[in-house]
Amino acid sequence: MVALAVVLAVLGAFVIRLVDIQVVNAKENIGNAMKYGLSTTKVLAGARGSIVDANGTPLAVGTLSYTCQFSPDNVRTITRKAADGTKIDVTWNEVSTKIAKIIGQSVDEVRAIVSDALVANAHSQYAPLGKSLSTEQYRELVDLGVDYISCSPVASRTYPNGAVAGNLIGFIGSDGDPLAGLEQQQNTCLTPTDGKLTFQNGKDGVVIPGTETVTPAQNGGTLKLTIDTDLQWYMTQLAEQATKQMHAQYATVTVLDVKTHQLKAAAEYPTVDPNDFTAKGSYRSSRIFTSQFEPGSTFKGITAATLIDTGAATATSTASVPWLKHFANGAVVNDAFRHGVSNYTLAGVLMDSSNVGASVFSQRTTLQTRYDYLKKFGIGSGSAIHFLGETQGLVHPYQDWDNQMRYDTAYGQGLTTTVPELMTAYEALIDGGVKYPIQLVESCTKADGTVITPKLPEPVRVISEKTSAQMREIFENVALQSNSYADLVKIPGYRIGVKTGTGQISNGHGYKSGVYYTTMIGFAPANDPQYLVAVTLDEPTKVRSSTANAPTFVKAMTQVLKTYRVMPSTTKPKILPKFG
Amino acid sequence: MSTATAAARPLSAPVERAGSRLRALERPARRRPRMLYGLVAVAGALAIVIAQMVLSVMSTQSSYEMSRLNAQQHELTLQRQVLDEELTGLSSPQYLAANAAALGMVVDESPSYLRLSDGKILGAQKAASSTSAITLGSGAVANKLIARTPLVTDPGATIDGTDQKKSATSTDHVTPVPVTDGLPTVRTH
Repeated sequence: MVALAVVLAVLGAFVIRLVDIQVVNAKENIGNAMKYGLSTTKVLAGARGSIVDANGTPLAVGTLSYTCQFSPDNVRTITRKAADGTKIDVTWNEVSTKIAKIIGQSVDEVRAIVSDALVANAHSQYAPLGKSLSTEQYRELVDLGVDYISCSPVASRTYPNGAVAGNLIGFIGSDGDPLAGLEQQQNTCLTPTDGKLTFQNGKDGVVIPGTETVTPAQNGGTLKLTIDTDLQWYMTQLAEQATKQMHAQYATVTVLDVKTHQLKAAAEYPTVDPNDFTAKGSYRSSRIFTSQFEPGSTFKGITAATLIDTGAATATSTASVPWLKHFANGAVVNDAFRHGVSNYTLAGVLMDSSNVGASVFSQRTTLQTRYDYLKKFGIGSGSAIHFLGETQGLVHPYQDWDNQMRYDTAYGQGLTTTVPELMTAYEALIDGGVKYPIQLVESCTKADGTVITPKLPEPVRVISEKTSAQMREIFENVALQSNSYADLVKIPGYRIGVKTGTGQISNGHGYKSGVYYTTMIGFAPANDPQYLVAVTLDEPTKVRSSTANAPTFVKAMTQVLKTYRVMPSTTKPKILPKFG
Repeated sequence: MSTATAAARPLSAPVERAGSRLRALERPARRRPRMLYGLVAVAGALAIVIAQMVLSVMSTQSSYEMSRLNAQQHELTLQRQVLDEELTGLSSPQYLAANAAALGMVVDESPSYLRLSDGKILGAQKAASSTSAITLGSGAVANKLIARTPLVTDPGATIDGTDQKKSATSTDHVTPVPVTDGLPTVRTH
């Protein structure tokens, strides 16, 4: 009887302990088991998402590079058995010569890495051998078969097309952090989520069956841009040529698809090769989005649209325009060329780009109306792209306009804008009067297939469709009848519309003398616009006015029409009178 | 089984011999357990043990197999990476343009279109000029990946224009086909 009681008591104790281990404290015990080395945990790195262009051509892809290191304390002559059983000594001298050849350094440099480390610490276990080594270099190092070199893979980034769209894409620093452009702005889309593999392994490293638990890694999303790689390359090449031929500081060429409101190219020079962003002469951001300028005469288009839309004038309304005018309030405005008192039509004012003409016509409406229209066209409010570091134009409230600014703002001085703002405003001017948000990013496709498209503001009507149609006619007549560049902007077979601007550049306390920020913006076909192209030059000195932009604009527009197979026009333009 | 045996052997009829005498019952002969059952049980146990060992060995074996295949996959991944690295940049517009330029190709500025309905030529309506709309082949739009890759169409040159040492074989492969009139023709009798 006593014996039975003892047995039962012991059994009971065991049962209680079993429940305690297996149920009550199970989590803690498993955690301890993992912690004290019964199992191995491996981080499963997810790959950073790719950036692709409108056609799916990769612009940025995730790759692996290798970081290798020495264990200097272990560097010695290694004895190895050859296939026939003889022993071979592999000396450090031999190995270091091979390493030098593989990583492209001199033998002395390689030996110095190890000897320096040993001088600093006789039992040194670490001396860096090389960073960002290619897979081929890594394999060759491993094939040396020496135990004092170890390597680990590092996620890195390759940009197959180099500087094509480099200033838009941005780049990744050596520590894996995005440092510029879309890489940084769209980091949430591109960043992967790491997974985890836990397992127990035997002495020889083989996984013990049934001990694995996997949390899979989530790759980053694929970022799709609206850019066309080939077109972007062509425009970058053009920007480079324009900068050099016109002795300018920089040049930009931007292409907008009017039907989809997507940017097809946003090229500039200087640019940056994200594979080599520390190279001399690189410009690491995008001036298209981050610089503002006084636009000059391109804003006469906005003034004209304001007047027509409010019924204050039509394309053929006339005004008496001298080349230099002293206004009643004391303001003085002059044209870039001398002429007698001319009876200009409103269309004619744009054709010859008369500052006095724009000022005289602007008196037919109120300052507030003009200010409101500038705001409605989006001047001063940036773009919906929200590029990293994107800047906005500056339009002072009309109450603050002094006597001179009241007229200056009619022809694009005394206020600033940006290329995206100018593109947005011109698209509204020529394509039916509605302001649409322009796009650079089409979508982000997550690893699980969900597609996220950027949230865009609602389109806003700025001017009536009728006004927009008149503006198309006016811009086409600018291309046909301009007194300074009409024969420079012809594209055989196509009807196009253009406007130029030669803006003064502030030097902090006044304007720089003799140098300008020049713009040419235009569209084709003029009767049914499909593409809008803007070319800007900063301080061209070979030709100092916006005529400098004409050859580049024509080449850019021709390439766009070729790329998208826009057929030549078969209709005739309506000629507007320059003078009344 | 023993219950059934007992039921099959009832006590001898007490009614007939009532009153005669009492005697002790014979102890029923105990039957020996059958050998077969034992064998089956032991064999079963053995089979289970063996099956478990075989399964265990097999899964361990396949674990080694997996380990080997993983190593192989790793090796192939590395090979693929090496090949990928060699190929990146070759599809870039810079490389294409430089190769085209090496062949003497140019970008025609304005295109002409032939309208099939009436045979009318639309557009520039003139022959393409031999000057390129933009300079091709110079490394204006930098690409570090291919800066030193020899061109396919001119193995002696790179995109930067810096001439590498011409390999002896590079010119041997280029045997120009004599063009007399239109397409080259085969001379046979």
